Amino acid sequence: MERRQRPRCTSTYMIIALLVSLIGRISSLSVTVNDIECVYEYVIYEDDTVSGNFVVVDHDIFWGSDHPGIDLTVTSPAGNVVHTLKGTSGDKFEFKAPRSGMYKFCFHNPHSTPETVSFHIHVGHIPNEHNLAKDEHLDPINVKIAELREALESVTAEQKYLKARDVRHRHTNESTRKRLLGYTIGEYVLLAVASTLQVVYIRRLFSKSVAYNRV
Amino acid sequence: MAENKISRSQVVAVLSIMVLLCLTGNNNFVPVAEAIWLTIPSSGTKCVSEEIQNNVVVLADYHVIDDANLQHPSAIAARVTSPYGSNLHHNENVTVGQFAFTTSEAGNYMACFWLNSNQQQSAGTTLSLDWRIGITAKDWESVAKKEKIEGVELDLKRLGYVVQAIHDNLVYLKSREADMREVSELTNSRVAWFSIMSIGICIVVSALQLWHLTLYFQKKKLI
Repeated sequence: MERRQRPRCTSTYMIIALLVSLIGRISSLSVTVNDIECVYEYVIYEDDTVSGNFVVVDHDIFWGSDHPGIDLTVTSPAGNVVHTLKGTSGDKFEFKAPRSGMYKFCFHNPHSTPETVSFHIHVGHIPNEHNLAKDEHLDPINVKIAELREALESVTAEQKYLKARDVRHRHTNESTRKRLLGYTIGEYVLLAVASTLQVVYIRRLFSKSVAYNRV
Repeated sequence: MAENKISRSQVVAVLSIMVLLCLTGNNNFVPVAEAIWLTIPSSGTKCVSEEIQNNVVVLADYHVIDDANLQHPSAIAARVTSPYGSNLHHNENVTVGQFAFTTSEAGNYMACFWLNSNQQQSAGTTLSLDWRIGITAKDWESVAKKEKIEGVELDLKRLGYVVQAIHDNLVYLKSREADMREVSELTNSRVAWFSIMSIGICIVVSALQLWHLTLYFQKKKLI
């Protein structure tokens, strides 16, 4: 892929980077949560809809599925908790941002084993009258295009969620397949060994050296 | 040396310029720079990963945002590895960086960041990472220039591409589901076969035992 020319000045570069940014990030990053992992996202406008989802991918079920799950806590820049999700293995969330600023999304893993969480966060904005200066007017087609963009973004976010769930299901399937193979072969070997030992033991019971005293 | 240091005031200035720009008439597409911020711990690495298909463009920019030391943010090192372990990008002792590549194999791509060892601070730092793949990495400026469209037409063209990407994603999900269904059905049939075989082996082994012991006792003249 051809890289575009990078101008020297950082702020010019950032403006260009911002202008060519599309609908927003449409990728699901995965992060390993040992105890608490926090991700920050900037909300530019007040009353923007922040939506997203997360799925616990590397859920290592050994003996039982009594894992408490992962908690998500969203903290606003003022410090109060805006949204919580407790003890789930993956869910969608959506809330209206009460103010603009840096929001903190924290994943908490109450268990000692590290888990991999795949998450996606999107801040959606639809231009409305409040954000304009006095002499500006709002073109209705811009609003409609923004709404359409947000609707398509929600479809894409749903697809990301499905893809992450599919990855998790795939892990479970692979683990089932491996367990099936391993435990079956182990079972056969154990059966053969147990029956051989039984025969050997019975033969020993009836062998000449102990026959006179015992059986 | 042209080391690009981005201070907090510059970020705020750029963001306010961007807000002003997006409020002007024609450009209705709100440019939201959705970079996420990660905290880099003082010791250890912070890694983010993503499962990416084959032949997808990945474009990422990262820069350090240091609350404590705005003029001299801490330097970090970055490494991006492909699913088979090859090094796609490696940078040491920088505060700003970017990397771009096209994936040649499907799998888990990981980007790791850690603080450089010659830093004398004990607290971690914050990194802003702007990670885009696929259609979000497309350069719309060049598309607009090449086809000489702008404003509403460009926005609608973008939406057209997004719809195409949604369709491609659906096809991909469908093929993954088909793969997984095959594995599930194979596992199902294997369970049935192995259970029947284990019953068979049980019967065979016990028959062998009985036969062997009968022979043995007859030899010993106990029966």
